[in-house]
Amino acid sequence: MVLENVGNRPIVSNLGPTTDELWHSGHRDRNFYTWGSMGLCSSIALGMALSTEEQVISLDGDGSLLMNLGAIATVGREKPKNLIVIVWDNEEWGQTGHQSSHTAMGTDLERVAQGCGISRTATVSSEEQLETALREALASPGPWFIVAKIEETDHLPYAPIEPEMTLYRFRATFPRASSNPLTEPWLQKPESS
Amino acid sequence: MTWAETLLAALKRADISLIAYVPDISIYQATKLMEDDPYFHVVAATREEEAIGVAVGAYAVGRRSAVFMQSSGLGNCINAIASLCLPCRTPIPFFVNLRGELGEFNIAQVAMGRASKPILDVLGLPHYTLTTVDGLDTILNGALDLCYASRQPVALCMTPLLHRGSLA
Ligand SMILES: Cc1ncc(C[n+]2csc(CCOP(=O)(O)OP(=O)(O)O)c2C)c(N)n1
Ligand SMILES: [Mg+2]
Repeated sequence: MVLENVGNRPIVSNLGPTTDELWHSGHRDRNFYTWGSMGLCSSIALGMALSTEEQVISLDGDGSLLMNLGAIATVGREKPKNLIVIVWDNEEWGQTGHQSSHTAMGTDLERVAQGCGISRTATVSSEEQLETALREALASPGPWFIVAKIEETDHLPYAPIEPEMTLYRFRATFPRASSNPLTEPWLQKPESS
Repeated sequence: MTWAETLLAALKRADISLIAYVPDISIYQATKLMEDDPYFHVVAATREEEAIGVAVGAYAVGRRSAVFMQSSGLGNCINAIASLCLPCRTPIPFFVNLRGELGEFNIAQVAMGRASKPILDVLGLPHYTLTTVDGLDTILNGALDLCYASRQPVALCMTPLLHRGSLA
């Protein structure tokens, strides 16, 4: 559903089930999969949003965001209009054995975001609600922070991610990288071709 | 030119325009100049590993970036380097102010400061120590060239010999 709505916009995915699901539901060059660096998904997306005019979508997780809540404070400080953070909040560290996370015990990530000065926020609990919120986010200036309450389902097989290849493929789709022969000679075509 | 002006010139030569950092007294001379210069977008992060994430994001869409921190912050971002920068091969220079050096007054800074270079060594990352403004541009330009040619982070370690540990 997310992929159907976002077109060619860049997406960053949280390690674990989110990365696996993104790969299985639609691998594309503009998916920046993470397999480590727990907590940095939305920070990476912030760095992108500050460096491209395009809208950037972060697909984060409750456990990971809790590891780096400061990321939300920095989003609130920078306020990039083109950043949309979606947190898949299954209220658990799903990947590591379904231990209850702090959001199962009362931590409200939407209010954390509001407390960091992010005014465009939502908490949704169905696919229809998420689609409505996402469409609004895509159509209006952000930063947006959407908490998607989800039920944990069976995990898909690991996605066969190769980080260096992920970065290379992703990067080559941005003119700022691909058009600069001085800094990115390996992204240029030979003159004869 | 002061060391900080030399550093800004080297960043511009290498086309580095996004700076992510957590403040430190001795890098302030440089980060202050960058904040006043519209060429740079300076992002204050809450923690050094977040700064690495922001820098990687910028690089991923084609903008060169660098991270400024003190050596205690290197301790805060080891996993970000090991699990993001190394597997993805992101050329991001780290400017690390080494604490625990000559004249250190704070015992809490000593162990992490002294552990910084060995940690960079086991991660396989080159590091260069900056002690004087003489020849500084040669080291900076060379290290930044190496960073992009190897597509791996390079650390530039700043010491009190360079900046006197002072704000200005
Ligand atoms: C620094 C670090 N600590 C712990 C882990 C182990 N770990 C991997 S995924 C994960 C849970 C992430 O939780 P969440 O972001 O909610 O994603 P979910 O698995 O629920 O989809 C943990 C704790 C890790 N990879 N890195
Ligand atoms: Mg979770």
